[in-house]
Amino acid sequence: MAHHEVERFSAGARLFHWVVTLTAIVLAVTGLFLWVPAFGSLAEDSYSRIIHRVAAVILVAAPLLFFLSRPKRALTFVKHIFTWGKDDIAWLKAAPDYYFGGDEKKMPPQGEMNSGQKLWGVVAFLSVIGFIVTGALMWFAKNSIPAELFLWTTIIHDLCFIVSASMTLVHLYLGAIHPRMTESLKSMLRGKVSEEYAKSHHGKWYKEISESKENGNKEATGSH
Amino acid sequence: MAKAILFDSTKCTACRGCQVACKQWNNLEADETVNTGTYENPPDLSPRTWLKMRFNEVEDDGKLAWLFTRRACMHCTEAGCVKVCPTGAVYHHEEGFVAYNKDICSGCGYCVDACPFDVPRMVGSSLTGKKKMEKCVFCADRVTNDQKPACVKTCPTGALVYGDRNEMIGLAEQRVDKLAGQGVDAQLYGKDELNGLHVMYVLAHSPKDYKLPVNPEVSPSVTLWQDILKIMGYAAVGAVAGGLLLNYMVARARMVKEKEGK
Repeated sequence: MAHHEVERFSAGARLFHWVVTLTAIVLAVTGLFLWVPAFGSLAEDSYSRIIHRVAAVILVAAPLLFFLSRPKRALTFVKHIFTWGKDDIAWLKAAPDYYFGGDEKKMPPQGEMNSGQKLWGVVAFLSVIGFIVTGALMWFAKNSIPAELFLWTTIIHDLCFIVSASMTLVHLYLGAIHPRMTESLKSMLRGKVSEEYAKSHHGKWYKEISESKENGNKEATGSH
Repeated sequence: MAKAILFDSTKCTACRGCQVACKQWNNLEADETVNTGTYENPPDLSPRTWLKMRFNEVEDDGKLAWLFTRRACMHCTEAGCVKVCPTGAVYHHEEGFVAYNKDICSGCGYCVDACPFDVPRMVGSSLTGKKKMEKCVFCADRVTNDQKPACVKTCPTGALVYGDRNEMIGLAEQRVDKLAGQGVDAQLYGKDELNGLHVMYVLAHSPKDYKLPVNPEVSPSVTLWQDILKIMGYAAVGAVAGGLLLNYMVARARMVKEKEGK
């Protein structure tokens, strides 16, 4: 097949992705200074706390700016990750056979994001909300909330970390390391995937964008 | 050998010489306060007030009782602040008291919320998070040079004494017996609380009347965070990483096989 490519991630979406990635790494590392006793001395004189706060502001600002600049796209994304159906259950059931053995037969055709990506979206979305709410309490309300509540905000903050860090490993692995995910990382860097890849990995989405292209309605693709 | 400060509330006249001696020896500035109609001053502990006397007014058989307590670090054996401190800045000195290394204090302030006695105070900016913890240091520089803590040294009535913890317990128990003989319902506070405090009180009323916690304990959420959640975190991330490694090996072997088959 000739090298036809389709756009998967717009420049804005890619910028957003990599800003959040960088911010999350900074937040995770500076946060871990208070987790791993061996790193404790790195938190000396609160420098890691200052960096953590600057990064936290970016983590709040980035989604807000994305939402303000492209509200429709942001809402479509959130709606998409929280929409689950029969196909998603079938996908999750068939996923181990595919990711271990390469058996694609049982995998139901997927939309713009497959069920695994949607699950990651849900985890990332909810844990960021958890981080922001508990983080804001720790930052601005430390002296006004009861001591016990403060201790619990740190516990919930850390629970969000355990869940989202575990899922981040899975995301990083499937995006950049798994031998069959040949175009995933490339698409987040350059924005495009081959038609073949789009057809086999996101059948429903490929159909949607091909149809809307024929209708000359580019907006409906949801990827611009 | 563990040392301890013994405070006998029945001998205290609330002269507050100890407050002044503490500030003087540790070079702490005065807190500016306002008159709120009580001799009790300053109103609370602060980053530069590590010791203050609390005046409690309670009714005893229709009569007013004016009870004085010492408000300062109790130097617990089972110390919430030591347990929760993420960087190891707060630790137990070999003489038993709770010391802290200000250099490696990250300013997180978790010790403030983990303390059953509401003692540590933070100094710094809440906005940037650049802070340090402050509290009574047990006059470590004095006691490690065979000197009494400044508050004890200055106490004119003998309400504060300092020495080996076991001796202090003996002294306190004698005093409680003597007070009992005079019809006072006295008790020793701090012998077993939190596995033994290094600041113990002889009280003539229930601890509640002195606004002391009757059964002080380190919040279970501190243990949950330090001992359970952290292990859970390592386990979860480790299990996921192991699973992904396994997946990589299986998926890769499978693809090599497919290629060979072609």
